[in-house]
Amino acid sequence: MTKEACVIKGNRHGLMLSVSEEASFAEILGQLREKLSAHRDFFQGAVVRLHSSAAFLSEDRVDDLAAVVHEYGMTLDRTMTLEDQRPQKQQRQKVPEFNLDDTKLIRRTIRSGQSIHYSGNVVVMGDVNAGSEIVCSGDILILGSLRGVAHAGAEGNAKAVVFAFRLEPTQLRIAHYISRAPDEKGPKPTGPELAQVVDNLIQIRPYGRFVKR
Amino acid sequence: MGEAIVITSGKGGVGKTTTTANLGTGLAHNKHKICLVDADIGLRNLDVVLGLENRIVYDLVDVVEGRCRLRQALIKDKRYDSLFLLPAAQTKEKDAVSPEQMAELMGTLKSEFDFIIVDCPAGIEQGFKNAISGADRAVIVTTPEVSAVRDADRIIGLLEAAEVYDPQLIINRLRPDMVRRGDMMDIQDIIDILAIPLVGVVPDDESIIVSSNRGEPVVLDQRSRPGQAYRNIVRRLEGLEVPFMDLEQKTVMHRLRTLFGIGGKR
Repeated sequence: MTKEACVIKGNRHGLMLSVSEEASFAEILGQLREKLSAHRDFFQGAVVRLHSSAAFLSEDRVDDLAAVVHEYGMTLDRTMTLEDQRPQKQQRQKVPEFNLDDTKLIRRTIRSGQSIHYSGNVVVMGDVNAGSEIVCSGDILILGSLRGVAHAGAEGNAKAVVFAFRLEPTQLRIAHYISRAPDEKGPKPTGPELAQVVDNLIQIRPYGRFVKR
Repeated sequence: MGEAIVITSGKGGVGKTTTTANLGTGLAHNKHKICLVDADIGLRNLDVVLGLENRIVYDLVDVVEGRCRLRQALIKDKRYDSLFLLPAAQTKEKDAVSPEQMAELMGTLKSEFDFIIVDCPAGIEQGFKNAISGADRAVIVTTPEVSAVRDADRIIGLLEAAEVYDPQLIINRLRPDMVRRGDMMDIQDIIDILAIPLVGVVPDDESIIVSSNRGEPVVLDQRSRPGQAYRNIVRRLEGLEVPFMDLEQKTVMHRLRTLFGIGGKR
């Protein structure tokens, strides 16, 4: 199947104009005219949203598209591009589906040299000492001190979190994000804390009632 | 082509890791390109003493098993751009690596670094055999204790059997006051037993423990006496002649005592 230069689709948000990045711009304009003239009455008065990567469509080209669309009695909504949607979509696909019940409960201290690997969540009722590691595809909850290495969402789930009563890890990893303890000794945490990825960085904040996940 | 030096002792707790960290840092300070290798798989410490623990992602076993490239596992030091650490794995066993694999790794490292300093684990089993494989020479660390010297002697024999010749000796944790009282073996006693060239004597000092805990090698502390001792050893490893420092504290009391012949050396 050859990819069409432009496609007009309807979904629950209304009409959507997708433009192929492989086709030349002249091809796109030509095909757009063809399609719109074939169903002139159907498209009359409709608002169509643009759906393509911002890098591909310059301001001028968007103007050209808007002009063609206008010729056929429609208006172009420029707000939406493919770029806005793409990351969300991909992330949703990547997240491995695991049941919240897939949780390993460990009721002991994890000591240096010990390593826990699990597909799912890991809950430790005890401490996780420096020199040990916990790697799992889901969330990590430490009901004690975390001083070792914790890798949550190890199969790519960037929404995974790491929680500990005392969060002072050697290194924290969530999906492919990585952060390490500062070289200078900072103040010790005084209460439970939660680590999660915010704006492509692992952030740690006190865990309390008003902290949203 | 670089040179691989293994730091070994037989007995545990005599200061192999501290010595490795300080000699490596000292050599890097003198503009040599250095790679420190922690061969103590399962009980790694060198990263902690250097303050680099939080940077470890890949380790020696990952390199040997092909899970990462060597470059990815090498950790650059905080202070010196020419100093790198290849950390040991903490969650594996010593037999995760074979002597042949270590020798191959050493060969690769030698083509890129001036000195490779290997921190050997205590004992004479697999870990020791791994650590000395590919080494060009050895530095034996001992403390002035009968048990540590006995183990050092055993190690020297094993090194000869493994064709690592001409080991050099570092006497660590010497306490001049105890030697003076006759409560500790003195330098000459140890050299008489081991009969290998002495490359340095490091006095016992609180600053060692403080610096190890902070992850800052004492060799960088200009005021510290063990720091001075390590700086001297570094220069001797570079091939320079450096006189041994006088370990006696030159206080007025000591001078008076010596004058009256009390408490001097037997």
